[in-house]
Amino acid sequence: MKVRQWLLIGLVWALGACLAPLSALAAGKVEITWWHAMSGNNGKVVDAIVKDFNATHPGIELKALYTGNYAETLTKYITAYRSKTAPNLVQSYEVGTQTMLSSGAVTPVYEIPGMVGETWDWAQYVIPITNYYASGGNLWSMPFNSSTAMLYYNRDLFAKAGLDPNRPPMTWEEVEAYGKKLLASGAVKHVMSFGWPGWMFEQQFAIHNQLFANNENGRKAMATRVLFNDKFGVKVVETWTRLAKENIFLYGGPEYSANSAFQGGQIAMLLQSTSSLRGIEKGSPFKVGTGFLPRLEGFPRGNSVIGGASLWVTKGQSKEQLRAVWAFLKYLAQPKVAVEWHKGTGYFPTVNAAVQELMGEGWFSQDQNYLTAFLQILSGRRDTAAATGVRMGPFVQIRELERTAIEKATSGQVSPKAALDDAARKADQLLSDFAQMNR
Amino acid sequence: MENAVEEEKFPGHPLLPYLLILPSVAVILVFLVYPFLQSVQESFFASTAFGTKTVYVGLRNYARLFASPDFRASAFATLLFAAFVMIIGLSVSLAVAHLLNQKLRGQGFYQIALIWTYALSPAVAGAIWALMFAPATGFVPYVVAKLSGGYLMNWMTNGNLALLVVSAAATWKMLGYNIVFFLAGLQNIPEEFVDAARVDGAGPWRTFWDITFPMLSPTTTFLLFVNMIYAFFQVFGLIDIMTHGGPGDATNILIYKLYRDAFLYLDTGAASAESVIVFIVISVAAIIQLHFATRKAIYAR
Repeated sequence: MKVRQWLLIGLVWALGACLAPLSALAAGKVEITWWHAMSGNNGKVVDAIVKDFNATHPGIELKALYTGNYAETLTKYITAYRSKTAPNLVQSYEVGTQTMLSSGAVTPVYEIPGMVGETWDWAQYVIPITNYYASGGNLWSMPFNSSTAMLYYNRDLFAKAGLDPNRPPMTWEEVEAYGKKLLASGAVKHVMSFGWPGWMFEQQFAIHNQLFANNENGRKAMATRVLFNDKFGVKVVETWTRLAKENIFLYGGPEYSANSAFQGGQIAMLLQSTSSLRGIEKGSPFKVGTGFLPRLEGFPRGNSVIGGASLWVTKGQSKEQLRAVWAFLKYLAQPKVAVEWHKGTGYFPTVNAAVQELMGEGWFSQDQNYLTAFLQILSGRRDTAAATGVRMGPFVQIRELERTAIEKATSGQVSPKAALDDAARKADQLLSDFAQMNR
Repeated sequence: MENAVEEEKFPGHPLLPYLLILPSVAVILVFLVYPFLQSVQESFFASTAFGTKTVYVGLRNYARLFASPDFRASAFATLLFAAFVMIIGLSVSLAVAHLLNQKLRGQGFYQIALIWTYALSPAVAGAIWALMFAPATGFVPYVVAKLSGGYLMNWMTNGNLALLVVSAAATWKMLGYNIVFFLAGLQNIPEEFVDAARVDGAGPWRTFWDITFPMLSPTTTFLLFVNMIYAFFQVFGLIDIMTHGGPGDATNILIYKLYRDAFLYLDTGAASAESVIVFIVISVAAIIQLHFATRKAIYAR
C-alpha cells in the first residue's frame, strides 16, 4: 500500500516534469521573461499590456514578473546574470544607466533591428526622452516609464492668501514672495516641500543649463569629477536654506513622504515627480494646480530632466528570443499601447504619434495638469548635455550624498558650501573608483 | 555539577548522535559558514557591479572604512541605538512586567495588550511610528506643538530627534517580547523567598534589588543578548520605512549602511568588510557578556 502510494506520487511528478516543457513545445511558443519594478496601480497596467500582447502574438509567451523596487530588481538581475539565468528583458531606473552601459551584459536596442533583419524608424520617439538613454548618438535602452518633476500647488490655499490661483510662481524669488504672503495670511505654517531632494537638486542644474559633472555631464566620456559644489549649486542650496529659515521651505524627507503634507493642506506647494499627478489629484480635497519647476533669475534656460526607467535587453539570446523581445518593444511603441500606458499611469507616452493622438482626442484640455509636464520638456532645450541630465557610474550613491548635503544645509547644521564640498569630495572618490574599475 | 558523574550513555550505534545532528550542521555550514567565509574573501577585493572585473585590493576596504568619518558616525549611532534599546527597553519591560505580575483585575487583558506588539513585523511598526510622528500630519507632533506653544517636532530634519524616535520605535517593538520573558521569570521566583524577605523587614525596593533582580539574572542575561542581536541586526525594516538612514545619515546604523553599500550601491567589497567588522564586534560583545553573565547569573534553585 505504502509502496504503491509512493509510486503513484513519483509517477505524477515524472509526468508533470515531462508535460511542462511539452505543452510549450506543442504550442510552438517562444518563451521570454521580463523583470520589472512596477507595483500597485502601475503593475496592473503592465499586466494588462502583457496580456494583450500575448493575446495578439500567438507565437510568443511573454512572462512579466515583478521583482521588487528598482534597486532590488537591479540587484536580482546582477545575481541572475552572474549565474546565467538572467531574464530576456529587464527594467532599470535612470540612475542605473551607466552601470548598465558598463556592464557588458546587454545588447543595445539600436542594434536589434539589424540583428533580426529589420529596419526601424528611431525618430518616432519623443526626443528629450531618447536623448537621455542615448550613448554616442544611439539608443541603448528602450524608454518605458518616463517622468519628470514639476510644481504642484493648492489653488484653494492660494485664493485664501489673496494670490491668483491661476498663476503659479515661476522663480524662486516668487516662491519666496508668495510664501511670505501665504504665511502672513495664516493659511499655512509652512509653504513648500519636495520629494526626491537629490533629484530636485539635479533638476535645477538642468533647467538652468548648468553642468552637474565634467566630461559634458558624463555623456562625452565617463564623468570623473562633479561640479555641483561650484557657484551655481551653492546658490541653489543657499536659496533653499534661506527659505527654510523663513519657514517657507519644510524638508519633507526622501521620495514621496512629502506628498501627505501637501495633500493634507499643511503646505501649499510641492515639487514632485509627474508620476504622482494621478495620486495627488485623486487624494486631495482641493483644486490642484501645476506649474514648471521654479527658476533662479539671471541664468540661462535648459530643460527638466527625465526620470523613471527604461528596458534593457540581455546579451546572448537566441535569434527567436531576440525576435520575440523585439516584437514586444515594437508593440510598446504602438500609439494605442502608449496612450493606454500614459492614461493608466501618468508616465509620458514615448512616441510622438501617441502624443498627437492624445491631443486629437482632447485629453489635455480635459485636465490641463497633464499638459504641464509635456510643455515643460517640449519647450526646453534638447541640444546640450547640461539640459539632458547627468550620467554617472555610482549615481545611486551620489544622489544619496546630495540628499545628505541638502539635509545638513537646510537644517542649519553646516553651511551650504561646506555641505556640498563634503559631498563632492566623496563623490569624486566614487567616480575615480568607478572609472578605474570600468576602464 | 553532581549529575556529571551519572552521565548516561546515548543508546544505539555510537555514530547515531552525529548522524542526528548532521542536518543542522549541514544547514549551518551551507547557509552561515560558507557565505561568511565568502564575505571575508570578498572584503579584500573591489569589483564591478556585474562582477566582470575583480581586483585584489588588500586591506583597502578596511582602511577606508576606518578612515571614513561616515563609518565612525554610523558605528557611534549604532552604539547609541543599541544602548537605548537594551537599557531603556529592558528597564521599561521589567517595570511593566513587575506591574503585570501583581494581582490585579483584568490582568489577562493588560498582558495581551502589552505583548501583542511583538507580533508586528518591523516594517509595520515602522509604518505606524512614521505616521504617528509625521512632522506635518502626525498625531504626536501635533500634540507636542499644542502643548509647547508651537514647537515644530520635525525629526525629518533633526538628526538627534530622528535617532531618538527610531530608537523608541525599535524599543516599543521589542517590549512585548521582553515582557513575556520577564513575566515568566518573575512567576518562577518562589514566593517563599519574597515572603521571607518581607518577614525580615525588607521594603519593596530592597526586596526587588536583593531577591527578585538577582533571581531574574538568567532571564536578564538572555534578554540582554537577544536585544543586542536585535538592535544590531533586526531593525533594518524599521529604519528603511522611517528614515532611510537620514536625516544627514543620523540614523544610518551599521546594518542599514551595510545594506545600502551592498544592495543599493553594489559595492560588495566595502559591504563585506563592514559585515566582518560587525561580526567581530558582536562576537567579542557576546563572549564578554556570556562569560560575565554565566559567572554572575544564579541558575540554581
